[in-house]
Amino acid sequence: MKRKFPWHIVVFLAPAFLIYLVFSAWPLIDTLRLGFFTTNDNGSQTWAGLANYHSLLFDPLWSEGFWNAMKNNCKFFLVHMCIQNPLGLLLAALLSMRGVKFAKGYQTAIFLPTLLSVVIIGFIWQLILSPLWGVSEKLLGLVHLDSLFQPFLGQEETALYTLSAMSVWQFVGIPMMLIYAALIAIPDEIIEAAYVEGASAWRIFWTIRVPLILPTLGLTTILTFVGNFNAFDLIYSVKGALAGPNFSTDILGTYFYRAFFGYQSQIGSPTMGAAVATLMFLVILFGVGVYFYFIQRKLQRFSF
Amino acid sequence: MSQHKASRFLGAGLTQVILAGYTILALFPIALIIINSFKSRGAIFDNPLALPTSETFSLIGFQKVLKESHFTLYFGNSLTVTITSLVLILLFGAMAAWALSEYKFKGSRILTLFFAFGIMVPIRLGTVSILKLMVSLSLVNTLTALILVYVAQGLPLAIMILSEFMQQIPKELKEAARCDGVGEFKIFFQVILPLIRPAVATVAVFTMVPIWNDLWFPLILAPGDSTQTVTLGVQQFIGQYVTNWNAVLASLTLAVLPVLVMYVFFSRQLIRGITAGAVK
Amino acid sequence: MSHVSLKNLTKSYDGKTNVLSGINLEINDGEFVVLVGPSGCGKSTLLRMVCGLEEITGGDLEIDHARVNDLPPALRGIAMVFQSYALYPHMSVYKNMAFGLKVAGKSKDEADTRIRNAAKILKIDHLLERLPRELSGGQRQRVAIGRAIVREPKLFLFDEPLSNLDAALRVQTRLEIAKLHRELAATIVYVTHDQVEAMTLGDKIVVMHDGLIQQAGSPLELYQQPANLFVATFIGSPKMNLLEGVVESAAADHLIVTLAGGQNVRADVEASTATVGDRVTVGVRSEHLWEDTNGSERFSGTVNLVEHLGESNFLYLTLSTGQDLTVRGHGDREVKIGDVINISAPSAAFHVFDRDGKAFKRLKPGNMVAAKRVS
Repeated sequence: MKRKFPWHIVVFLAPAFLIYLVFSAWPLIDTLRLGFFTTNDNGSQTWAGLANYHSLLFDPLWSEGFWNAMKNNCKFFLVHMCIQNPLGLLLAALLSMRGVKFAKGYQTAIFLPTLLSVVIIGFIWQLILSPLWGVSEKLLGLVHLDSLFQPFLGQEETALYTLSAMSVWQFVGIPMMLIYAALIAIPDEIIEAAYVEGASAWRIFWTIRVPLILPTLGLTTILTFVGNFNAFDLIYSVKGALAGPNFSTDILGTYFYRAFFGYQSQIGSPTMGAAVATLMFLVILFGVGVYFYFIQRKLQRFSF
Repeated sequence: MSQHKASRFLGAGLTQVILAGYTILALFPIALIIINSFKSRGAIFDNPLALPTSETFSLIGFQKVLKESHFTLYFGNSLTVTITSLVLILLFGAMAAWALSEYKFKGSRILTLFFAFGIMVPIRLGTVSILKLMVSLSLVNTLTALILVYVAQGLPLAIMILSEFMQQIPKELKEAARCDGVGEFKIFFQVILPLIRPAVATVAVFTMVPIWNDLWFPLILAPGDSTQTVTLGVQQFIGQYVTNWNAVLASLTLAVLPVLVMYVFFSRQLIRGITAGAVK
Repeated sequence: MSHVSLKNLTKSYDGKTNVLSGINLEINDGEFVVLVGPSGCGKSTLLRMVCGLEEITGGDLEIDHARVNDLPPALRGIAMVFQSYALYPHMSVYKNMAFGLKVAGKSKDEADTRIRNAAKILKIDHLLERLPRELSGGQRQRVAIGRAIVREPKLFLFDEPLSNLDAALRVQTRLEIAKLHRELAATIVYVTHDQVEAMTLGDKIVVMHDGLIQQAGSPLELYQQPANLFVATFIGSPKMNLLEGVVESAAADHLIVTLAGGQNVRADVEASTATVGDRVTVGVRSEHLWEDTNGSERFSGTVNLVEHLGESNFLYLTLSTGQDLTVRGHGDREVKIGDVINISAPSAAFHVFDRDGKAFKRLKPGNMVAAKRVS
């Protein structure tokens, strides 16, 4: 019997495939292609080989900004790794303990900021930290620490860390929820077995629960990585495209925006923007690759 | 023995202190903004931590925002973009997930990988070409441009979550329908779609929030006055009126309140959805 | 030597309603005690209270004459085998068994000796380096038991350990557990909802229902002298036949009951406390009803349904009075639906329960042997 061509499969797949192809996959590929071109003064584009990349990586005019953004982005990521994810783990561990009063309420409240726009969060903290308003100073005064107050967002040394902390504050709910879900998926009997054998809560946490949620910790790491190296909104809305003071809060996202659209005297260039995007793509691809080939492979998922 | 109980009690106390402390830290900034948006300028500076009283109560900020900006228009734009994108993502995502999880055909593995790629690689990286494409389609400064991009952005994750869910639907159900001679489209729309409702909630959360909150694409693809979304509108408004504290606080409150109200009503389902989806 | 006493134990979650009330039980050294009952009867809760996983609301739990109510599990000298086995998924079999010993601060050498011994007894010595997910259900079960053995506890607790195994493996593992009990001379408390498991394994069976101990005794005691209607119908398969009636005459050595259909039945029970005219329930097990007309008490009924088990048949009859009876017949006897057959039983076979379901003591429970089936 000759089988009919499976038209229904085509119909089911076509809308998703076409939209994804035209507005996501193809633009990405085209961006990679554009990175090899240069924009002339009349707007036309010509082949330039690796010239854009050479400028970005080695020509001080571009490379200084690029490496600065890269370095800042790494710091941004490190702050998330060292504060956001451990804090998420701590909160999730506390929430998942048995018989914690108001656990659902705490969880709901802590997750709330993740639903708000980064732009809104940025402005809210900007106001709170503003020396003009003086709320933070007043609050620190309540515990006699007002001498510690500084215009955190305005100083080169503190601005990036302050922005990172704001981002941590907003997004800690995500690792918290992911880890919480993984923790409560561990069957009670396994924890009880360890308790019956005399293990303390501390020991159970580190020798039973944490090893069993390693896959989830790996997942939060890679999600944080991708999210951080793709960040833009927070810096742009608090510090603008120039990521001041003196580019001290510049990350790849804002650098990409400036390369593409230009700023002050610098004229924007789509091809230079494409080259920056390509480098960002490679960074993310590198992170994802490391995750899949080296980390995820080693971490087995445990079915209970 | 009693020592055992005492240490337990202490542990529970410490747990409460940490959780309650962080909860206050999470809610305080938002509460502070909302409270002060209802106060007069003087009161905002004199005593930011106080609740508005009958003397300090003022709606001047809100009046300013509603008069000077098209807040309701922005709000409508955001709603249109988010809901349309969501419906299309769910429909097209479910269809593709069904095709990929149900039928064995040549290239289905490669297609699955092709879609999976989009989960990890942010669509933003293709912005240069997306803008070029939208210019050539003369879609710049239209909501359609945003919807198309957001659908493309949301599809990969939706397809992944939905196809995992579809694989758990008992084979017997589909086979029973096929034995009864029901066509493939009818099976999908009348048997499968109703069954995946719980997963739809999870997908909705994961796709809706980033769309509503996005600044990047509205800024680049639709910055025109008539197509601004709330997020972009607030960002632009605040940029203009930095020094008008009443207006700034009011615009932030207006942006926060709808989300807050939604969250109060749906937080239980939402958190259940995330927890269920995350275990996968 | 280990001796466990449960003295008037109660459990309540809200302080008002009792999940368990007034549980009294003595467990002697080396005894295999089975807690059995339908789901929700409180048997697992009781086991978890003995273990230390559930707090004891009231009463005393003593192990070797020391009150242990407030001791954490590890200090009670017990080990528990969980229903799902609860093996640590990320540890090898060896590490699973070593974990508790390491926590207890045992030296590596000692732990190693104990683990290798236990593994040998359980025949899992070739699996020590595997992860739990690489094991079959039966093998996981053994590892779970091994993890308990290495701790050399005074008391083993088993929580429905066979319920995750398939039927064939369940019978085999049941035998192995019985053997292990003998070899280790271990004191065991074992929870199950399966009466066959209970009867085959237990030295002492504790039947629980509604948070109360209904009866505790040897398997034979429970079978021959069920203390009340609940135990009578819970132990034995198929269920004991029950017929409603009224006391016609009562004496110290027998009771005559008029059944609903007007027929009189004589039962050899100690009935000096019964009064003429009392409502009672007469019980008789299907295996004590024989297709025969020679017995002292006779019935006749129509066959509704026959179940062939090979060595015997279960015949489901409806008596002329409308009551239903189940009879165990010879496997070789061919019976058709609609046949009318006569059955009888000796008066020693009958159980009688008073209005509250309490049993009168049967006087000649062993006498059925004399009346060996004729058909």
